[in-house]
Amino acid sequence: MLLLEVISGERLAKPERGKMRVHKISNVNKALDFIASKGVKLVSIGAEEIVDGNVKMTLGMIWTIILRFAIQDISVEETSAKEGLLLWCQRKTAPYKNVNIQNFHISWKDGLGFCALIHRHRPELIDYGKLRKDDPLTNLNTAFDVAEKYLDIPKMLDAEDIVGTARPDEKAIMTYVSSFYHAFSGAQKAETAANRICKVLAVNQENEQLMEDYEKLASDLLEWIRRTIPWLENRVAENTMHAMQQKLEDFRDYRRLHKPPKVQEKCQLEINFNTLQTKLRLSNRPAFMPSEGRMVSDINNAWGCLEQAEKGYEEWLLNEIRRLERLDHLAEKFRQKASIHEAWTDGKEAMLRQKDYETATLSEIKALLKKHEAFESDLAAHQDRVEQIAAIAQELNELDYYDSPSVNARCQKICDQWDNLGALTQKRREALERTEKLLETIDQLYLEYAKRAAPFNNWMEGAMEDLQDTFIVHTIEEIQGLSTAHEQFKATLPDADKERLAILGIHNEVSKIVQTYHVNMAGSNPYTIITPQEINGKWDHVRQLVPRRDQALTEEHARQQHNERLRKQFGAQANVIGPWIQTKMEEIGRISIEMHGTLEDQLSHLRQYEKSIVNYKPKIDQLEGDHQLIQEALIFDNKHTNYTMEHIRVGWEQLLTTIARTINEVENQILTRDAKGISQEQMNEFRASFNHFDRKKTGMMDTDDFRACLISMGYNMGEAEFARIMSIVDPNRLGVVTFQAFIDFMSRETADTDTADQVMASFKILAGDKNYITVEELRRELPPDQAEYCIARMAPYTGPDAVPGALDYMSFSTALYGESDL
Amino acid sequence: MDSFKVVLEGPAPWGFRLQGGKDFNVPLSISRLTPGGKAAQAGVVVGDWVLSIDGENAGSLTHIEAQNKIRACGERLRLGLSRAQPAQSKPQKVGSGRAPGGGR
Repeated sequence: MLLLEVISGERLAKPERGKMRVHKISNVNKALDFIASKGVKLVSIGAEEIVDGNVKMTLGMIWTIILRFAIQDISVEETSAKEGLLLWCQRKTAPYKNVNIQNFHISWKDGLGFCALIHRHRPELIDYGKLRKDDPLTNLNTAFDVAEKYLDIPKMLDAEDIVGTARPDEKAIMTYVSSFYHAFSGAQKAETAANRICKVLAVNQENEQLMEDYEKLASDLLEWIRRTIPWLENRVAENTMHAMQQKLEDFRDYRRLHKPPKVQEKCQLEINFNTLQTKLRLSNRPAFMPSEGRMVSDINNAWGCLEQAEKGYEEWLLNEIRRLERLDHLAEKFRQKASIHEAWTDGKEAMLRQKDYETATLSEIKALLKKHEAFESDLAAHQDRVEQIAAIAQELNELDYYDSPSVNARCQKICDQWDNLGALTQKRREALERTEKLLETIDQLYLEYAKRAAPFNNWMEGAMEDLQDTFIVHTIEEIQGLSTAHEQFKATLPDADKERLAILGIHNEVSKIVQTYHVNMAGSNPYTIITPQEINGKWDHVRQLVPRRDQALTEEHARQQHNERLRKQFGAQANVIGPWIQTKMEEIGRISIEMHGTLEDQLSHLRQYEKSIVNYKPKIDQLEGDHQLIQEALIFDNKHTNYTMEHIRVGWEQLLTTIARTINEVENQILTRDAKGISQEQMNEFRASFNHFDRKKTGMMDTDDFRACLISMGYNMGEAEFARIMSIVDPNRLGVVTFQAFIDFMSRETADTDTADQVMASFKILAGDKNYITVEELRRELPPDQAEYCIARMAPYTGPDAVPGALDYMSFSTALYGESDL
Repeated sequence: MDSFKVVLEGPAPWGFRLQGGKDFNVPLSISRLTPGGKAAQAGVVVGDWVLSIDGENAGSLTHIEAQNKIRACGERLRLGLSRAQPAQSKPQKVGSGRAPGGGR
């Protein structure tokens, strides 16, 4: 209790005087009550423990008391005792760099803390500069000594103890330090007072500063608001989206970066204001009245306006952007369409102005027209597009596009050009059609020309051919026919000439058109290559040929007449000569078969004929002459006679031959008669037979006739025998038997001896009855050339009685007659 | 016309009469046969034409040439002959040597 009284500076209740436990307990309880009344919590400390001398408890209670009264009082700026004390130490030792008070144990180990504390308040007591950190012992002792000596602070701590212990006892140090505190607190008081004044002043200053700050902040804020609001209210749209987006970006920045700090500022301003007011109020100062215009209400108003302006701004921005977007899109569309269109129209004007039709042919014009038609459709199709472009331009205008003028200008250009194109197209169409018509007309004329020129040309060529046609005529009728045809042809000439003029007329018409309309005739008539010059040339030629032909025909006519004369001449002659020959032939034939009169008579008769025939020769020659003329004149037929020269010739030759042969026959008959001794009567008989069987009266018998004849004469023979006879009689196998052959045969058959035998017999005589003959004998008996003849031809005799040089006359004899026995 | 060959064994006489020749403008032919002679035995007939003598063509020979040629074939005489055939008779074998029975 005493302690408490001392330490607290207050009187407690009167203590119980007594030594009994109960008195002790009561005292302790009073003390505890007192402690508790000071607001110290005592945990599990009861009076009994203290009375009973519980050391731990007792010490604990003591510390608590110390803490409460010695230390608890310590208040440094409203902090708790411990903290306040710490803070006070820190404050005081703050200037001392080598001192760092963080706690109440280790920080004090080097002793510098204590020294610093002392030095701080009583610098003359310690030479702080001489202190060294690594000498804690000295430091501590110095501090303790000085404290004891000059400050009346008993040595509560032991230097070695502190140094030696790793962690000095916190409570002890705290207690010791608190002593310092109390020691200096006197000095503290002034400081505290000064502090209080300072604090008050500081508060004032602070307040003033706050007010100033407020004012400034408010001004700034208001200024900022004033600046910002017009910016927000500026609804001038930018032209480009990019710019607008930039604005949006700016707004976003504003919202995200610029405004929040300002919000913060405003908030701060408010807070500051409130704080200031509170502080002022708390410190019994009058409330703060901001200057004119900077009142809270002003600020709030301004802020309100700001927010108002803000609200519309973003919306407006977005709308504008949308609008611009649309405009941009439209503008782009416009540009695109315009570009496409311009690309399409590029060159069209030039194309339409072309004068290519001036040098084109009809088919080319037609092709150009078709092309133009196609172009016209294309143009019509593009009309749509132009309208679209104009519509877009209009919309741009309505939407107030920033670049409307240039858009409009371009649109106008396009429209003007469009109209121009339309006009040019029309003009070109007209020109093309006009040219087409012209060319068609010309083409028609050309065709007409060609259609007529070709046949006419043909006709002329045919006429030329005909007029120059070499003709071969053989009769007067033929030439007359040609003449007539020629006259007919001449009759057609006037009409032909008319046709020619008509054709030329067509050509002239074409020329006229070409000249009048300045049509460029690059080509010529495509339907024909026949030029008027050609036509005229040929026409003149035809005209020339006509008289020539006249002449030719006339000449030919004369020739034909001459020929006719020749024919007649020949005919007349031939008609005389022919029958004469015929007659003579017959007469000769008759003579040859007649039977009365001698052969000599026949012969002389025949010779007379011969003479007359010879005398007639000149006539034949004359005829030949005429014939030659006829042949030279190339006359091939002659209707005036049936006899040709060949007929006559043949007949004449036949006549000559016949007469000669007949004479010869008769002579032979005479010879035969004489040789064979056939009498005239026999001859006549032969003749009668022969004539009888010569049924056809040709002077010759065929095999059947002959056979019949033989049979009638009593010859009975078989086929082989007849064949033999035939081979003799008709050795040449002519199939006929002449009278001469007949007589030969007949005489031979009736003759007595074989002629070959006769010859053989003759040779035998010459050979002296030998079977062979020698060369000497032949030469001796026969004339030289005949002897040589025999020698050359006789074969050597090869009989048993042969001698060298023997010749076989027997086979030779038979061979003479064509018969050999072998 | 049928041609055939005969070979007569010699010596001469062969027993036939040869007629004709180029100089007579008549082809060589057989005009007579000795009855029972070699030729007759070989089947030669009157009227047969002589085409070849000893293999040589007889068409260009004169009578004398033909005669000499035949005479030159001493031991054996080969003759090529031809005969006009009546329509119905069968063709003869060439060189058969056998005469058909008297002409069918």
